[in-house]
Amino acid sequence: MSSTRLEAFLARLYVDSDARANFKGNPRAEAKKAGLSDEQCTALENLDWIGLEMAARSFAKKRQLKRRPSWFAAFLLRLSRLRFPPFLQ
Amino acid sequence: MNNLTDRVGLGWRPDLAAGILEHLDGIDLLEVIADDFFCAPSRQIRALKTLAAQIPVVLHGVSLGLASSSPVVTERLDRMARLVEEVSPEFWSEHLAFVRAGGIEIGHLAAPPRCSATVDAAAANLHRAQAAVGAKPLVENIATLIDPPASTLAESDWIAGILSSSNCGLLLDLHNVLANGLNHGYDPCEFVRQIPPERIAAIHIAGGKFISAPDGTQRLLDDHLHDVPDPVFDLLEETAARAPGPLTVILERDGHYPSMDSLLAEIAQARRALAKGRERRMRPAEVVA
Repeated sequence: MSSTRLEAFLARLYVDSDARANFKGNPRAEAKKAGLSDEQCTALENLDWIGLEMAARSFAKKRQLKRRPSWFAAFLLRLSRLRFPPFLQ
Repeated sequence: MNNLTDRVGLGWRPDLAAGILEHLDGIDLLEVIADDFFCAPSRQIRALKTLAAQIPVVLHGVSLGLASSSPVVTERLDRMARLVEEVSPEFWSEHLAFVRAGGIEIGHLAAPPRCSATVDAAAANLHRAQAAVGAKPLVENIATLIDPPASTLAESDWIAGILSSSNCGLLLDLHNVLANGLNHGYDPCEFVRQIPPERIAAIHIAGGKFISAPDGTQRLLDDHLHDVPDPVFDLLEETAARAPGPLTVILERDGHYPSMDSLLAEIAQARRALAKGRERRMRPAEVVA
């Protein structure tokens, strides 16, 4: 059985808190809506819910770290926000 | 006596550069994050090649997603191929993970469902990787805070299936083994015993921390921000007692950097664990009366 749809569904759950909330509210219906098989829907109903929340939090932190600009980019950003006196502009 | 040429090295990080260069005689090799150099200017590639001329270098990828059910993106493989060609590392490695699906970037390594379909998909991606890069990667087991749903195989069987289908070697991350064992209820040492020992070519050691779960329990997070805990050195000894081939051990540290002396002490401790394991391997099996 292909896992492509299941991986896409999991990816959505990992990055989207609204999708997680909807899924928690009605796991089988949400999984069905995503086109997952009966077997996969059953597996998702028995999901490691605590692990899901912890993994989502951990992934969010990783994405945040990746977005953090390098010190050089941060320096340039700070420089661009400075207000220089007119004679320097 | 240890006749195998086991080596212990360190993950190259810009923050550690000065200390590493000052202590090259105490470090057998360096592992460089390949992704940091995919879009690097040519002067940085030249600097990496200069480094590789001084000390053995291996490349480590973090974003190919080789255990995804979808085919690995060709452009990403091409970037790895170019870097491998320029740097000529001793080997390159990647994780058995998916990092994107359905157009969504997860931002880190996620565990796919462990089933025969993902064994086949990973093997197909590893063949693609070999064709593009010209050499097979070592593949690494990942840590996961969530037990991947719809799994029908034990993690050790899933990994063994991929190694067998792809004929790849394993980069066994022992802190990931410890974390998954503690978080998902299995014996990490037993896990090491279930991995085909002849496939183990390299090892990662690292540290992590326990984080609280919403239900009040704790799970071990593999954050590479802490010292290597003793159980990881015990697993290293166990691995060295079982693996027939030479082992390359890499100490990973991604932040909260301690002094270089502390890192060198961890490298020395890894060497002692390897030596103890090799000694056990050489010892004749005890005869049970």
